[in-house]
Amino acid sequence: MEKSPSIITTKNLNLWYGEKQALADITMEVERNRVTALIGPSGCGKSTLIRVFNRMNDLIDTCRVEGSVLIDDQDIYHPAADVVSIRKKVGMVFQKPNPFPKSVYENVAYGPRIHGIRERGELDRIVEVSLRDAALWNEVKDRLHDPAGGLSGGQQQRLCIARCLAVEPEIILMDEPCSALDPIATAKIENLIDILKRSYTVVIVTHNMQQAARVSDFTGFMYLGKLIEFGETTRIFEKPKEELTANYVTGRFG
Amino acid sequence: MNSPVYIGRNSTGDVSNSGQDLPGPPTFTYNSPAHPAPGGTLPFPRALKKEGAIEALLFLASLVAIVTVLFILAYLFLNAVPIFQEVGFFEFVTGLSWDPTGIPPSYGTFPLIVGTLLVTLLAMAITLPLSLGSAVFIAEIASPRTRSILKPAIELLAGIPSVVYGFFGLVILTEALQVSFDLDSGLTWLAGSILLAIMALPTITSVSEDAIKAVPREFREGSLALGATRWQTMSRVVIPAAFSGITAAIILGIGRAVGETMAVLMVCGNAPIIPVPIYNVFSPIRTLTATLGIETGEVASGSAHYHALFGVAFLLLIITLIVNMIATVVIGRIQSGPVRVIPRRTGGRIPLRNRIAPAMKAIFSKLRLPATVILGALVLLAIDLSAGHMAAATILAATVAFLLARRKVSSRITEKIAFSLMIGATLIVVLILGVILWNIVVNGLAAISWEFLTGSPRDLGRGGGIYPAIVGTLYLVAGAIAIALPIGIGAAIYLVEYTGGGRFVRIIRSGVDLLNGTPSIVFGLFGFAFFVLFLHFGVSLLAGQITLGLLILPTIIRTTEEALKCVPQGFREGSLALGASRWQTVSRVVIPPAMPGVLTGAILAIGRAAGETAAIMFTAVVFSTRFLPTSPFDPVMALPYHLFILATNVPNARTNQYGTALVLLVLVVGIYSIAIVLRNHYQKTVRW
Repeated sequence: MEKSPSIITTKNLNLWYGEKQALADITMEVERNRVTALIGPSGCGKSTLIRVFNRMNDLIDTCRVEGSVLIDDQDIYHPAADVVSIRKKVGMVFQKPNPFPKSVYENVAYGPRIHGIRERGELDRIVEVSLRDAALWNEVKDRLHDPAGGLSGGQQQRLCIARCLAVEPEIILMDEPCSALDPIATAKIENLIDILKRSYTVVIVTHNMQQAARVSDFTGFMYLGKLIEFGETTRIFEKPKEELTANYVTGRFG
Repeated sequence: MNSPVYIGRNSTGDVSNSGQDLPGPPTFTYNSPAHPAPGGTLPFPRALKKEGAIEALLFLASLVAIVTVLFILAYLFLNAVPIFQEVGFFEFVTGLSWDPTGIPPSYGTFPLIVGTLLVTLLAMAITLPLSLGSAVFIAEIASPRTRSILKPAIELLAGIPSVVYGFFGLVILTEALQVSFDLDSGLTWLAGSILLAIMALPTITSVSEDAIKAVPREFREGSLALGATRWQTMSRVVIPAAFSGITAAIILGIGRAVGETMAVLMVCGNAPIIPVPIYNVFSPIRTLTATLGIETGEVASGSAHYHALFGVAFLLLIITLIVNMIATVVIGRIQSGPVRVIPRRTGGRIPLRNRIAPAMKAIFSKLRLPATVILGALVLLAIDLSAGHMAAATILAATVAFLLARRKVSSRITEKIAFSLMIGATLIVVLILGVILWNIVVNGLAAISWEFLTGSPRDLGRGGGIYPAIVGTLYLVAGAIAIALPIGIGAAIYLVEYTGGGRFVRIIRSGVDLLNGTPSIVFGLFGFAFFVLFLHFGVSLLAGQITLGLLILPTIIRTTEEALKCVPQGFREGSLALGASRWQTVSRVVIPPAMPGVLTGAILAIGRAAGETAAIMFTAVVFSTRFLPTSPFDPVMALPYHLFILATNVPNARTNQYGTALVLLVLVVGIYSIAIVLRNHYQKTVRW
């Protein structure tokens, strides 16, 4: 146990889109093998923050980041940092399921393939294990070579999780993974998150406070680009220190 | 139709249709005499009358369009039948000698078919690496700034008239080939293929770029988030997802190459022979289109030769049909796309194209390796012949080394190599097109003077000006637009807004598509046979205007239809639900947002008509006349034809050739740039 308990550390993180500041002075720590939830009203910057952790914000030309973001004590915004290996280590599941227009098998095998695995047997093994871990194997094992677009929304989202697991990341970022899903599919994903935290660190953005309360160990409440309060989920929901947080979690605004 | 009663009932009907079984209060309020309709003095009878008149007009327009389309197809076919009866269809297609003026005459089109295929095939081998490379560069690698310059520039170049390309080919390309390979003549298969490759570059690049750009952002994010490099994301996710669109672009390019007349006719040498040996790219060659371009003017009406030319046109139609059918299947795959298609309105039957698509996909995936090998071999052959054995050997060695080393090379280095290849392709494309423009602009400016723009030609066009040609072109274009625009737009509105899209509409649409892809020289042949000879218009302004109008009619119908279909169905439903009539809905809600699309289509059609040579060369134009036409039955001069004759038949007229080319270029490219600016403007401002 030489690793420190926190896997992601941000210090005085500021982020601008052009002239508009989207994140202000965020300092937080994400603990290893725990589920951390980010909640807050629309436009508060929670999706922006989660996209900082795997540098998906790089895709936006006008985006500018200041401050430090350490993952395993390495600054991921250091000029010499390798964005490809960061993203390999920090997987992401998006708001809307986005399987590639390929077969179920090819979707999961995509990650291992681009990282250099070519033997068919090894790929078969990874695909099966990943799909099992994503609780999807039994539903798709007979149609591995059908187009992924033919799966239901919930299955597509679990396929995206399997695709992410196949790369063997350490951290999984989930950006409102259930917002496009029905309650049953949502329940399946929530169960899955509970299992995933044994082996992975999960950071989840959610609109749904009940979901945050159900799945997470730690919760951060964000408002207008600031991290208002961060702590253990039970404490945030039962004894919030800030009035803003209290108002939000009791549903008085937001 | 428009009584308030109907509206009331309709709204209850909608409620039950949506599956909610609400008992709800009765909504027949308007029906009850105690509650007269609000503003009950609406002028319903007059509105109805106007409504009916407009629908009748639109119906008339579509009827004219349909009858014309079917008539052209039938006329071409029926005039081709006699030659099939005389020599037999099989003999006509497989005969090895084309000599319709010989004694005895022979009508074998096999060398012409082979010529068309060979010219097209080599052109594609040259153009594909360049245009696909630059499409990927513009869509994925270039900075937004670079892209915003390159993309419209390349689209603009798609508008350069083919006779201008032909002129460039004749004065620069064939000379260069003759000198560098020490040939007797530069008029060869290779010259034709290089020229066609350059002409297809803008189209294929632009359409492929659209297809790549249309791949949803989520796919890219999903791949990058897994730690893929940009090149891995492009090559394994984005390009495969855009595969159908890219294929459609290639098919479009093939269609353009097969149908091209003037440029090919000017640089290919036109001997109706099969090259010996078959890969001898320095052999002269003749295509189906060039045959029509050369022989239509001097044929006796009703002779076997006359019918043989219709036979050639028929073959071109068949080729167009095949190209169209492949395109339909491929584009069907785009629309069914990666997302599951739920057959909703087909009553559970799976549409044919959804059954074809998987089969096509299986064939594609099986053919991918052999196709790559064949294409690679062709490219290599092209390099071997144009740049010498050393270059070909080097590239072959580099490719093999790359394939062998690929597994060992890191993805980072692969990315660097791939990116440099794309950048290289783009640079070559920009260089080629830049050289052509530079050459024509610099040499053309020397010829431009006040006298040149306002005077009549002297000394076979070597001296004097081109004023009659400028005016003639404007007359021709104005007439064509006056004919095609009302009919085309009216027909499109009727087809989209007033019909349910049943089997009949589908047949009409196929006919329109077929004519849309038909080579313009076929229209030239039709106009010559029907208007000039049969209706005794003679070679005249009117015959040319109608022929040009028919040529652009399918384009106008198609682009208008597309623009109307892009307007969301919700707009129409919203308006109809407020009690608006159909024409009120169409005129106030549907047409305004569709207008930019309609205008763009119309302007592109104008540009095409202004640069068109093949459709007017037998119907409307003479090489030289000192007078402007005084009646529609007078012949006229026109810029494209003037350039064609100056370039091919008048020695020592270089200055005025360049001058004419520049005027034509500026005219057509100017028209195109209006269309592009208009489109980009509305793309930025219109959102729904």
